[in-house]
Amino acid sequence: MFTRYTLLTVVALFGAPALAPAADPFADTVEKANKKLVKVFGAGGFARLNNYGTGIIISKDGHILTVASQLLDTSELVVHLYDGQRMKAQVIVTEPLLDVALIKIRVEGKKIDEDSGLDLDFFDALTAVRRPPAAAGDWILGMSNTFEIALRDEPLSVQRGVISAYTKMAGRRGIFEFPYTGDVYMVDAITNNPGAAGGALLDKKGELLGIIGRELKNSLTETWMNYAIPMNAKMTLKTTITVKDKDGKDVEQEKTVTVSMEEFVTKGAGYKTPVDKTLIPLGLGGYHGIIFVPNILERTPAYVEDVVPGSPADKAGLRPDDLVSFIDGEPIISIKALDEYMRKFTRPNQKIVLEVRRGESLQSIEMTLGQHPPKPKVPAPKP
Amino acid sequence: MKITIPNAARPWVAVVAVALLAAPVSAQPKPDLNDATEKAMKAASAKVAPAIVKIETAGGAETTLVAPKKGGPPGPPAAGIRKGVGPTTGLVVSADGYIISSAFNFSNKPTDIFVTIPGRPQRLVAKIVANDQTRMLTLLKIDAKDLTVPDVFPKKDVEVGQWGLTLGRTLDNNVDHPPSMSVGIVSATNRIWGKAIQTDAKTSPVNYGGALVSIDGRVYGVVVPASNRAEGETAGVDVYDGGIGFAVPLEDVLATLPRLKEGKDLRRGLLGVSPQGTDVYNAVPVIGAIQPDSAAARAGLQVGDKITEINGKKVPNYSTLQHIMGPMYESDELALKVLRGDKEMEFKSVKLLGTTTAYVAAYFGILPMRDDASPGVEVRFVYPKSPADVAGIKAGDRIMKFGPAALPAPPPVANRAAFIAAIQRLAPGAEVKVEVKRKDGGKVETVQAKLVPVPDEIPEKLPPATGKKEEPKKEEPKPPLNVRADLGGQEEKKDDKKEKPKLETGYMTRTDEALGREYWVYVPDNYDPKVSHGLIVWFHQAGQGGKDGERMAKTFEDFAADNHFIIMGPKASAETGWKANETEVVVRDVKTVIGQYTIDRTRVIAHGQANGGEMAFYVGFNARDVFRGVCTVGAILGNPPKDNIANQPLAFFISGGDKDPLIKDIVESKNLLMEKRFPVIFREMKESGKEYFDVKTFNDFLNWADSLDRI
Repeated sequence: MFTRYTLLTVVALFGAPALAPAADPFADTVEKANKKLVKVFGAGGFARLNNYGTGIIISKDGHILTVASQLLDTSELVVHLYDGQRMKAQVIVTEPLLDVALIKIRVEGKKIDEDSGLDLDFFDALTAVRRPPAAAGDWILGMSNTFEIALRDEPLSVQRGVISAYTKMAGRRGIFEFPYTGDVYMVDAITNNPGAAGGALLDKKGELLGIIGRELKNSLTETWMNYAIPMNAKMTLKTTITVKDKDGKDVEQEKTVTVSMEEFVTKGAGYKTPVDKTLIPLGLGGYHGIIFVPNILERTPAYVEDVVPGSPADKAGLRPDDLVSFIDGEPIISIKALDEYMRKFTRPNQKIVLEVRRGESLQSIEMTLGQHPPKPKVPAPKP
Repeated sequence: MKITIPNAARPWVAVVAVALLAAPVSAQPKPDLNDATEKAMKAASAKVAPAIVKIETAGGAETTLVAPKKGGPPGPPAAGIRKGVGPTTGLVVSADGYIISSAFNFSNKPTDIFVTIPGRPQRLVAKIVANDQTRMLTLLKIDAKDLTVPDVFPKKDVEVGQWGLTLGRTLDNNVDHPPSMSVGIVSATNRIWGKAIQTDAKTSPVNYGGALVSIDGRVYGVVVPASNRAEGETAGVDVYDGGIGFAVPLEDVLATLPRLKEGKDLRRGLLGVSPQGTDVYNAVPVIGAIQPDSAAARAGLQVGDKITEINGKKVPNYSTLQHIMGPMYESDELALKVLRGDKEMEFKSVKLLGTTTAYVAAYFGILPMRDDASPGVEVRFVYPKSPADVAGIKAGDRIMKFGPAALPAPPPVANRAAFIAAIQRLAPGAEVKVEVKRKDGGKVETVQAKLVPVPDEIPEKLPPATGKKEEPKKEEPKPPLNVRADLGGQEEKKDDKKEKPKLETGYMTRTDEALGREYWVYVPDNYDPKVSHGLIVWFHQAGQGGKDGERMAKTFEDFAADNHFIIMGPKASAETGWKANETEVVVRDVKTVIGQYTIDRTRVIAHGQANGGEMAFYVGFNARDVFRGVCTVGAILGNPPKDNIANQPLAFFISGGDKDPLIKDIVESKNLLMEKRFPVIFREMKESGKEYFDVKTFNDFLNWADSLDRI
């Protein structure tokens, strides 16, 4: 597709005589940053999977942050440093929830968990994770080995753009599943092309803002996204774990798990998996008791036909012909979307706010969800 | 310090200078241009932000992909585009609740629309007031007051090179955050026939309906997808984020706002003329055809008039006419000067119409003999019950003169082409006088007839089309290979070549080294350069490029020999199928073949299945100087059909299987074409999904192809 191969915008910003020289000419910024980035070569090279990518050095002895892609599924991982040195590398830990991986340069004769003795330029990841996020309109530089233009000591490609938005990733539901549901940087440069994943998103002073992501399509707009996972990425998951109660019986218990880039880079360097990633299997979600109009079309709007007497919907005062338009601020485009939302994001006893179109106006209705009534015909399995 | 400021940089330099001066001079020993520009951009965004609203929709259609059949070959690629489901953007244009947006955002006909205004917590129910069909804009009304209206950047001050920021509300759900931003410059003005400003800031569904904003926070225009090659609310979406984006000037939007507020859709103003040739850039603007009852017809313009001036502007070529007409609306008035012969004529206040009555080709009801050197036109076949039949014309008669009955004597008809040209100037209902030389005895008689519209019928069996006595090789040709109900595919070997062909015949593949393109041609073994041949251009299905050529050639083998057709098949450059922009190279290949062989230009057919059929429609409509027929199997129209034009007729043969999930859309495509009064043959094949023709439909198609030169 045309868009995927739009020419790289190399820094050539003010070709015309300008008012005054910028305090931080991009050339210096980019030259410094280039020394802290590597080209990664690994598995791939067939189908549409490329065997090249980019990585960000975050310690002087060679810890490299990159995207957790198929590229890393090899024992022959190789990185090229800015000066052309070719070195072997090894995966230390990956965090699928953030879609990042930490790899480390392997030096002959050294164990992977020893100091490698290298003295590389690096981005200070801990400073980066604590920096406040950039905002829409901030100028950015994207640096990556997009399309494998650079080899060995050739500098990476640089793109200039602005942050379009700092917002939730729109690919979390629907067409594709992307595990990370926190905020991302959307940028207006065409950064996310083959080989760019793992590249650096920098502010105009050259400070690390985020890691350029993969090639993904935005499910809200059906367009390819140009995004980076921010260094301050954080996401909170609700999960249930099974524990023994005092009688030794298995009971389910709710638990909140927070995954953050900060934890990942700190603990990652200590070679531990940062979090327990047991995800809750999806249940039915909370119960509302709305009977919808027949769901004929892919996008039949969520019109209420009736409510089950005594159900949460009945108690909340929903009426036939109401159109459920939003739940907790999320647009509900169809009955299908509503079902999916209930399943993924709600639990019994949770309070939700529905915005309902009744006639020509929108009404806010609060509802406390219930337990799904047992299905009559299927006998409950004996424990 | 001496500063040189390039012209184009002036507008933003001024702002940056202001931004710089605002800071205390002493505290800023080293002014940073990047910082200042960035700050100015954010200020511009913040200034317009209150007028950039979020639009959410519910219900409506969702164009989905046609899933490939399990185990079978992959299905056609997406039929049209899949519409995203996220929020879109609108721009406040009047404080009392009017919002303008891109029609793209409502292309799926949502049942409910909601608008959220920055700084106001409530979502509001919105209603569509009207559409501007020329600029693909939609006006919404919400119940709100005291909205912030943005400042307008005057059109006359827009210069290439000025900063342009595109702002949208799709990405961030919170309207109190800054809108999403992309930065670029004004790339061109007066684009899309004078209707849009072009920018290299990214435009996509993320900001369609939002604003293109100057560095000082004024609005150039409303971001829309647009294309100079296609119309419709989704045209131009394919190049999203590609550095080619468009915005309709806000000044123009505000000028039409009173008309839109009345709730009437704005349509393009049509004059109702078509050019004589296809080269609109070089050819002089001579009127080649006039739509019946159009603005041009009402004003009294005539075919052959040369347009010299419109609204005081000289018109050196036809494209100038298009540029002037492009931005015009229905009911707008034109002042025209034309040359008729040597006489200059003036037409003041020609009122443009919103619709044109479709041109309907007139029909006499005969098939002519081809490759006939004698004067007049010999009748090959008379359609039963046609005007010709009613007037007593018989096969074998020779038509010598033909013309409107009003003339004292009908003018002579030199040959087939002259006959076709003569009837194209007439409308159904016209009374004509025809002088015929009878087959037996050569008696000359003059008969009268009344022309009718071209009917939707195909003769079941046709006599040969050349004067030579040729016996068909077989009485009942076996169903060819690619046709269903294939009888086992036992094609007989034909090794009894009687004469040696002079030109290379049979199946050939050709490559254009320079362009890296390839195509195949099948020339029947009995090819004779003295006999004119029809040409069927086959557009393969996605992924079949270069694979189905020999099979198609075999399919048409007997027909090609018996009815003198050459078959060719260009190859799409992508595995995923045809793209509209391949039209030009495909047409070049077709013209090469036309140049090498004796081709009857009245029987050049674009034929394709599924994605190939969509390409056949597209190529048919966009290379009308070449194609006279379009035949599709299981394909839908990608774009709304263009008008039927007298001097570039197009006939359609459309088919689909009753089990094809697309069948409704195929029928809809057929209806659209019939509304435009094109002659359309439609066949719904029983018990059929996405297969090629069945035997019956195939035979109908062959007869249709062989009767395209009917008069």
